[in-house]
Amino acid sequence: MVVRIRLARFGRAHSPFYNIVVTQARTARNSKPIEVLGTYDPIPKPPLDGEGKPWKDIKLDIARAKYWLGVGAQPSDPAWRLLSIAGLLEPKYRPPPANAQAQKPKEKA
Amino acid sequence: MPPPLRSPSVIPSTSCAKQLRKTAQSRSFSSTPQRDQRATRARRQFFRWLGTQGQNFLNPLPNSTNYLSAYNAAGQLKRVVEAASDRAERSRQSGGTSNSNDNNESGGGNSNGELPPETVRDLRPFPMNPAFVSQPVLSEEMREKIWERIMKKGQSVREVSASLGVEMSRIGAVVRLMEIEKEWQRIGKPLARPYAKAVMSMLPQTHYRPDDTNPRPHESINDLPLHAATGAQIFYPTSESRHFTRTDAARIFDDNLLPADDRVPHPELTLMHKDFKAGMPQEQILARQRAREEAEAKRKQAALDKRKKDREEVQIVDNGRWHFRFTDINVDEAGKDGRGYRGVGWRYGVPSMDRSRGAIKIPTRVE
Repeated sequence: MVVRIRLARFGRAHSPFYNIVVTQARTARNSKPIEVLGTYDPIPKPPLDGEGKPWKDIKLDIARAKYWLGVGAQPSDPAWRLLSIAGLLEPKYRPPPANAQAQKPKEKA
Repeated sequence: MPPPLRSPSVIPSTSCAKQLRKTAQSRSFSSTPQRDQRATRARRQFFRWLGTQGQNFLNPLPNSTNYLSAYNAAGQLKRVVEAASDRAERSRQSGGTSNSNDNNESGGGNSNGELPPETVRDLRPFPMNPAFVSQPVLSEEMREKIWERIMKKGQSVREVSASLGVEMSRIGAVVRLMEIEKEWQRIGKPLARPYAKAVMSMLPQTHYRPDDTNPRPHESINDLPLHAATGAQIFYPTSESRHFTRTDAARIFDDNLLPADDRVPHPELTLMHKDFKAGMPQEQILARQRAREEAEAKRKQAALDKRKKDREEVQIVDNGRWHFRFTDINVDEAGKDGRGYRGVGWRYGVPSMDRSRGAIKIPTRVE
């Protein structure tokens, strides 16, 4: 069976909160995992010093995450996104660059 | 040269009153009926007042407040009259050795020609309302000194407040306003100097006296602020043998209420006074105070360092819309059973108590 790194949704209605877990792929979403790597709170918080961007809180044991990736755990797409933000993986999906359309004709010419 | 002092009772200068009376009679355009212009007692008293007390307000005293209650019925400054009678009394007791001097000072005031200082009696603008006493304001040089001590010498607000006897909130306000004033001077914005000068000349002021070892404080600086938790009148039975302190009293009012000694604006003054009461010498009191200040500074610095370190440990990634704040944790802190109190993450196998009886479901605050 495949070991996956995925998110387990906790929290209440309209206030999601995720555990980042390492678990067997075929187990239920909120069943007890092999390990809880950290948490992801998707609700943005107001900036700490009153200015700048709002922030989202992610707690992650980076060393354990690296270990599980090293032994072949497969992140789900949302987990892949978070791990790539943390710099552990190459991003799976990249937004197309804003000037992609403008650059293509130039290359042809 | 002593300031010119008028004594209306000695030379009754009724020129003003006469002039007013004359203009009132010669008003051919007045629509007031003639019988209402007749000389009633009130009118006579009014013109008498204009000639005596009223004269003092036509030409106000320089460098002094000039309130109604400072003058007697004859229009003389009460404090000048009292000072003169005191001096006469003293010279009579001393046996007439300095009789020759008295004639020179008949105009009132001290021997050096200055007005005696105002008392509370002289600072009442409304004679019918003795509770209203005009309070002193900080003089220009005092405000300049406060700004200099805070911004130039780098003293703390607490320190300046305690040494000058000015409340900490007022110190803050003075520094902010002085900063604005200096900024205006820098950019060349005109200041309302004549207005400030006129107002300041009319008000009682607290002056800066650096050579005075024990200056009079501007205001009471160590008042205990009212706390909502102390509003209730509580009868708390306790045993007579118990040593019941302010700390205990505070705890009875509220679990989180600090004792009064810690809630006052200057707890350090209380501690110093306790040392003084214990009979310590001045040097020891100051040394102990300095040690306390250093410990406090060290504690504050440690807290700042910890906050800085915590912030540095967080890795911030900007994705254009949000800042993702990554905090590195250790999964082993959850412990063997995954329920360690330092563990991170929603717990497994633990019932959520938010729907149990008595739990508040309505949020009590909005963030």
